[in-house]
Amino acid sequence: MWDWLQWFTHMGNSKVAALGIFFALFVGILFYVFGQKQRSERLESYKYMPFEDDDTLPTNDSEHKGTQDERD
Amino acid sequence: MRHEKIETNVGLLIVLTLIVISIGGLIEIVPLFFIDETIEQVQTPDGKDAIRPYSALETRGRDIYIREGCYLCHSQMIRPFRDEILRYGHYSLAAESQYDHPFQWGSKRTGPDLARVGGKYSNEWHKQHLMAPRSVMPDSIMPNYPWLQENSLAYNDIASRMKALRLVGVPYSLTDAEYEKNIERFGKGIADQLNIHAAEDNLVAQADQGNYDGDQSRLTEMDALVAYLQVLGTMVDFKQYEEGHFAEFR
Amino acid sequence: MAAIEQYNYDIVRKFSIMALIWGALGMSAGLYIALELAFPLMNFDIPELTFGRLRPVHTTLVIFGFGGSALFATSYYIVQRTCQARLFSKSLANFTFWGWQSIVVLGAISYVLGYSQGREYAEFAWPLDLLITVVWIAYLVIYVQTVRHRSQPHIYVANWFFLAFILATALLHVFNNLAVPVSMFSMTSYSAFSGVQDAMTQWWYGHNAVGFFLTAAFLGMMYYFVPKQAGRPVYSYRLSIIHFWALVFLYMWAGAHHLHWTALPDWTSTLAATFSIMLLLPSWGGMINGIMTLSGAWDKLRSDPIMLFLITALSFYGMSTFEGPLMALKSVNALSHYTDWTIGHVHSGALGWVAMVTFGSMYHLIPRLYDTDMYSKKLMYVHFFLASIGIVLYITALWVAGIGQGLMLRGFDEYGNLAYSFIETVIFLKQPYIWRAIGGAFFLAGMLVMIYNVFVTIGRAKKEVEILEAKIAAKLASA
Repeated sequence: MWDWLQWFTHMGNSKVAALGIFFALFVGILFYVFGQKQRSERLESYKYMPFEDDDTLPTNDSEHKGTQDERD
Repeated sequence: MRHEKIETNVGLLIVLTLIVISIGGLIEIVPLFFIDETIEQVQTPDGKDAIRPYSALETRGRDIYIREGCYLCHSQMIRPFRDEILRYGHYSLAAESQYDHPFQWGSKRTGPDLARVGGKYSNEWHKQHLMAPRSVMPDSIMPNYPWLQENSLAYNDIASRMKALRLVGVPYSLTDAEYEKNIERFGKGIADQLNIHAAEDNLVAQADQGNYDGDQSRLTEMDALVAYLQVLGTMVDFKQYEEGHFAEFR
Repeated sequence: MAAIEQYNYDIVRKFSIMALIWGALGMSAGLYIALELAFPLMNFDIPELTFGRLRPVHTTLVIFGFGGSALFATSYYIVQRTCQARLFSKSLANFTFWGWQSIVVLGAISYVLGYSQGREYAEFAWPLDLLITVVWIAYLVIYVQTVRHRSQPHIYVANWFFLAFILATALLHVFNNLAVPVSMFSMTSYSAFSGVQDAMTQWWYGHNAVGFFLTAAFLGMMYYFVPKQAGRPVYSYRLSIIHFWALVFLYMWAGAHHLHWTALPDWTSTLAATFSIMLLLPSWGGMINGIMTLSGAWDKLRSDPIMLFLITALSFYGMSTFEGPLMALKSVNALSHYTDWTIGHVHSGALGWVAMVTFGSMYHLIPRLYDTDMYSKKLMYVHFFLASIGIVLYITALWVAGIGQGLMLRGFDEYGNLAYSFIETVIFLKQPYIWRAIGGAFFLAGMLVMIYNVFVTIGRAKKEVEILEAKIAAKLASA
């Protein structure tokens, strides 16, 4: 019943095994990050952080154009 | 687990980052120290190690090679391609650089590969070429190194240099037991050369006998550097092995 | 003015100015050794001036002097601004400044005097390696302590990249420089490893010096300055999460592609080639994330030279991270390795990406540090075009040189003999070497224009402050 575990002990299979593990991990991360709409929105909300310091206004408004930084 | 846990906890971020960046190095580097086939065994017909550590004089030559940054324009690693084998000789074996601290494989050939330059040219040619490369090779872009002939070779610290190399694993002998072991491994002639107690005498003797810079009156940096260049790639006699003998290690 | 009191800007100013000075000096050294290759006469039979001793001076001044100082400056700025916390310990920060500057100065002096470890980009003699370790630990402490004192629950993505860069550099530096000194009073040491293992350790270090010092950290710069300058948040924060983890994981595997076809075991270099190709994905993810930040505001490229620098940098980043995996293929590497193609590739990354993103960031940063505007927008454009022309000349010349030499060396005549001797390839290289030097001269000229522009800006800012203070003093006196 557990014979299939033997497959992992062969050095020749290590490349395939590693590739499988890493790919599964990658897909898992992709799914976590992009899978749910709510979670997506939550994760995206942190991108405004650089604008929360004092000399610029927050730009949560995606229509916002031009910069407060423009000094020329 | 939420990714925010990591984004809000610098300790966790550090630990996870360390784990993630360590994996690649652990898997690629650590096994090289433990897998036996990484460095092939190369033995002479009488069962001695073919590759020996550098002699005292060659070690000083190698120091000068590094000091002048030769490795920035010359590689010491022949790849197994037809053109390279025709141009430079048999491809380099891992065993051939096993005593190189640090390795000098190089990454750029502004000049030709030097892995098997030993014995290809005469001492006189090397001296002339190092003094003024364009006098023997009109289109060469190598700098002149006249000071190698002017500078006397400093060798009063050769014993400490060999001791440091011994600490990192080069079989220079300090004790009688180590000396005996070297006789077994390399033969008496070489074991004597590897004896740290005789380092200075050996160095002077080799320079006298080799007469690398054509000037018997002085021991110069030229002596050491040419001695080093002349030993490069000469330790393995490839005629003794059948074709493809080393292929299994690739 | 409030911001200036709130944050430690003094240390950022110091590092910024030194970055520019090291940039000019390091690029000058680069131009000089480029000329030595075209005209060997310029070695002048002076040991201190020969190519072999000056080349580490060039690489150290540009990587650690210019790049390092720019990273200290921007990371100290970004960590304060995104954490809204003052930088931890002024004195420790000053120690990192003076420590780092002395490392670069002493490194350069020791190389021309002939003290080198013989490891590319890690030529520092062992006492300097120890000093680097101490300074680096101080840097880590400052960074972590500042992040810990943040008034924000979240750590912004730029800081992840800077942290990964600090940690990885520490790891690489320590393991690659393990060595036994000849004596306490000798500058010489012998590396702990030899041959195959030493080569692998060195290129694990060498490639990740590129991956973390010259890429991850500059991506941190990108993740702050591109959004700030564009006035809009980064394109996708989720993409940046994937970008970060994939990049730091994959980079560490790629080093052995510098050792294809050598005595390194095949399994190691095959593994490295595989990961090098996978590395294309996070690299381009990062590039897309940066460039798309400007989506909907492309018109800025017409009016804002800083944006031009940043977007051009990202484009070159995309180009060289495509070229890199290509060159990591064993078949391509057989041709490209040992030739100038590699040098050209490095410079399309170093000039196109690292230097251009630094210029853009500095043009954004410096006026803010001195509470003023850049003196001349026109000169910023002049710098941009000089730099761009320089890069194009440089990499084109070295494509010709590298591919040409690679093909000549593997050429056979009809009888199966080698078609060219080595010296014939050297003769062929002369023209490309001259063009490369001209490209480098353009780039250096742009750097000098920037220094002029920045110094006038700073001078005027100081005068403005003086006038203001005089006015206030006069008002106070009359009142």
